[in-house]
Amino acid sequence: MATILVVDDSASMRQMVEFTLKEAGHQVMVAEDGQVALNIAQGAPADLVITDVNMPNMDGITLIKELRALPAYKFTPILTLTTESTAEKKMEGKGAGATGWIVKPFNPEKLLATVNKVLG
Amino acid sequence: MKHLRLPEFQHMKSYWDPIQNVDVVRILAGECYVTHCHELITTVLGSCVSACIRDTATRIGGMNHFMLPTEKVQRSDNGGTHGLSADAAYGSYAMERLINSILKYGGRRESLEVKIFGGGRIMGGMADVGLQNINFVRAYLRTEGLRIAAEDVGGDFPRRMAYFPATGKVLLKKLRNVRNETIVQQESTYLADLRREATQGGEVELFGD
Repeated sequence: MATILVVDDSASMRQMVEFTLKEAGHQVMVAEDGQVALNIAQGAPADLVITDVNMPNMDGITLIKELRALPAYKFTPILTLTTESTAEKKMEGKGAGATGWIVKPFNPEKLLATVNKVLG
Repeated sequence: MKHLRLPEFQHMKSYWDPIQNVDVVRILAGECYVTHCHELITTVLGSCVSACIRDTATRIGGMNHFMLPTEKVQRSDNGGTHGLSADAAYGSYAMERLINSILKYGGRRESLEVKIFGGGRIMGGMADVGLQNINFVRAYLRTEGLRIAAEDVGGDFPRRMAYFPATGKVLLKKLRNVRNETIVQQESTYLADLRREATQGGEVELFGD
């Protein structure tokens, strides 16, 4: 089972994603924005990061770029989970180093299937 | 003079109201509209709910209009559950779409003013769909730490409402003497579509190398 860092400024979303992942047996760390997530990531390695895109303090795209600059996160899978669905935003995410893009509303089974896929 | 629309809402149609002296955008079930201009957003609510949210400092705000799919638990192929309702996933999405659009264009979470409307008991059947919608929105806002500044919810009648995001003013008419059939029909169609969409979730794309 993996250690997963979940980043979302919505407390409701953090709770739902955390619940889904924990029920599947994963360990979960949560952060309410990119800056908090980056602080956590610098102190503790994660096997996977699932991040929202639009957040205060540090958005998801900036977080992905910052994480990719950390040696420990250079190859860590990073998924976005967001209401953003435009091709431009996806390209921005891909350019920043995202592994995949999940559009809300999220479906627990789809999320877990994607998590399993990127964790190999 | 036409207002400059926010990019996500370019497709929304509006008309000029010469009495209110304002551009009016009418939203339907499942839609959401956010503006930074002096516009009026209108809708008619049966058992659906609308959250009217604005940033009191930047005066950007908007309204959504939704109901829950009321599918209790998402089941996996082998009959197991992930214990998370499609209601929570879809309702959170509907609320987040509105809040995110406001925050994305300069709103701040700490200066949001929230008002909620609708959730009437106008559909037949045992379950009070309107009350489920009201309860969800209240619980969601509590979890998010957002206080409800005003509300007009419940009852056994539809509501016609109009919201000025720039000022926060709401005009509301309780449609006690209007036949509900049209609204019930519209909401039933919306609910059927919603149940199909909400259980599927959004798209997933893996980027590869």
